[in-house]
Amino acid sequence: MSARRIPLLSYVFMKILEMKPATYDRHMDRASRGHVFKAKQAVAEEVTPGSYVLDIGCGTGDLARMMIERDCIVDGFDMSPAMIMAAEERIETEHLARKFSARQIGVEGMDGIAAETYDAIVSMLVFSELNDDERCFALQQAQRILRPGGIIIIADEVVPQTGCRRILQSIIRLPLFAITYIIATGVTRPLADLAGDMARAGVTIVKEVRSHGDSFAMIVGRKKGEGEP
Amino acid sequence: MTSILKTIWGLLFRLFPCPTKVGLRRIGEPGPDSPVLITCNFDLTVKRLKRVLKGLDVWLLVAESKGVNVWCAAGGEEFNTHSVVSVVKTSGIEDKITHRTLVLPPLGAPGINADEVRSQTGWKVRWGPVYADDIPRYLTDNYKKNEGMKRARYDLSERLDTGLGSMFPIYLTGAMGFLIFGRNLLTEYLVAGALAFIVFMSLCSWIPGRRGITKAFFVDAVLVLIMVILEVSLNPYISELRPFLILALVMIPVYGLELGGLASTMKSDLDPFLARLGIGAVGNVAFAGTVRTELLNGYRELTYNEDLCIGCRSCAEVCPQGVWTMGENKKAVLVNKDACTACRACLVQCKPEAIQALRV
Repeated sequence: MSARRIPLLSYVFMKILEMKPATYDRHMDRASRGHVFKAKQAVAEEVTPGSYVLDIGCGTGDLARMMIERDCIVDGFDMSPAMIMAAEERIETEHLARKFSARQIGVEGMDGIAAETYDAIVSMLVFSELNDDERCFALQQAQRILRPGGIIIIADEVVPQTGCRRILQSIIRLPLFAITYIIATGVTRPLADLAGDMARAGVTIVKEVRSHGDSFAMIVGRKKGEGEP
Repeated sequence: MTSILKTIWGLLFRLFPCPTKVGLRRIGEPGPDSPVLITCNFDLTVKRLKRVLKGLDVWLLVAESKGVNVWCAAGGEEFNTHSVVSVVKTSGIEDKITHRTLVLPPLGAPGINADEVRSQTGWKVRWGPVYADDIPRYLTDNYKKNEGMKRARYDLSERLDTGLGSMFPIYLTGAMGFLIFGRNLLTEYLVAGALAFIVFMSLCSWIPGRRGITKAFFVDAVLVLIMVILEVSLNPYISELRPFLILALVMIPVYGLELGGLASTMKSDLDPFLARLGIGAVGNVAFAGTVRTELLNGYRELTYNEDLCIGCRSCAEVCPQGVWTMGENKKAVLVNKDACTACRACLVQCKPEAIQALRV
């Protein structure tokens, strides 16, 4: 297996690593040889400093912390009570109470957020855990709660665009998928058409960066500004 | 082809997940007033429900349960409040109907908090019948259930069905073991294991004992007696029968230990046993320290404070054992505590916490 492919291990094993939130970030970084950390940095750098941001599936708040360093205020949510507990611990120990809040809901709870609230919405390795309906719903809600001209940045595991790479990804993934399924029951699914899904929800794709053998993508979408056609 | 393979997998390997797509299914030609039912995303359950509902016009919401059946997924909290709220909100059902009534499977009650579903979705929640076969009548009778529809029966067909799905992997593992390490006894194992399964599961309702393992020990005692009689009487067939009988003696307690966990009418034996041995979890299914395991191991006790009861009927609606009924004062009455299998359904549904599992 080439070094370029190694990050794939961490995505597939994510559901296992999630079982221990206290060590989740550290183990994800280790399993991905730092790729996950760099991907979070790349996402944070896309957010305009000083923005009001929603972090979908905030986990322990690692990505939120990076955005707070850029003077952003972050609201996060995650479905996992254990992850939210870890995030709350971070808020307390790192004195982030005024800049970061985390609550335990799933994407279905996004309909309770007021329209045009956020300047930016970010999500890292979450959409590959959602089913088709949840993904569509989350993107439609994201479009609704973004302010005009706001951006949405999604970084996640994706299906490669070429046939050979798709086959290679499947071969590498299959045994890892089986192990994850047995240990954690839950699994992640690489996204087949994330940019298309985002476009269908009404955002304009402004940037797409694919990496690691085309198996990981960061996609930036923008909601139309006021008065824009 | 995939569908057939998934059906076979679901039948023979019920212990393992077999997921189908989450989301909205149309049964017949449902309209804005048609009933909305919800179930888990275990492939076999969805197929069976579709078969039972044939001829009706119904919306079926298939919620995430990680590909596990309703009873097991709810017990393991994989089929939960979030799964139900999520499918209600994200499937698009709200745009297709005019009413807001959801019919949930009562065996899902240990995992789904109906009150939370109500508050998060605004939908009214009804607990349907325990068995899918009763759903058509339940819908025709305008959501009315008789007492029989509320109770788990665990009759012969269900025993053979769930038993096959749960015990076949154990049987198969044993067969592989004999194939590798004791091929000379493989035939005896296959015959004795299969016969022991059929006899034990067919007769288990009539075998004395309230727990699977107790029933198994009773059958073993009878088998030992038969063996002793055959040995003492110098029966000419004893040398041929001996390996079959010994293998059956071993297999029956294995089946018995598993029986409690899969029957909705019996207390589980395996989880509390493993917890006592210090094995707290298998994969991400944790049981040590859970309320259910502690109830089963006697570290907690089911308690009821009538003063706190608000008469919502939830406990009586969801208990598959008839542990609860409603009294004349419209408050719950604990009528059959001994029948409780510690499924936690009443504990999860009791909003004022009139029912609790307190540490002994």
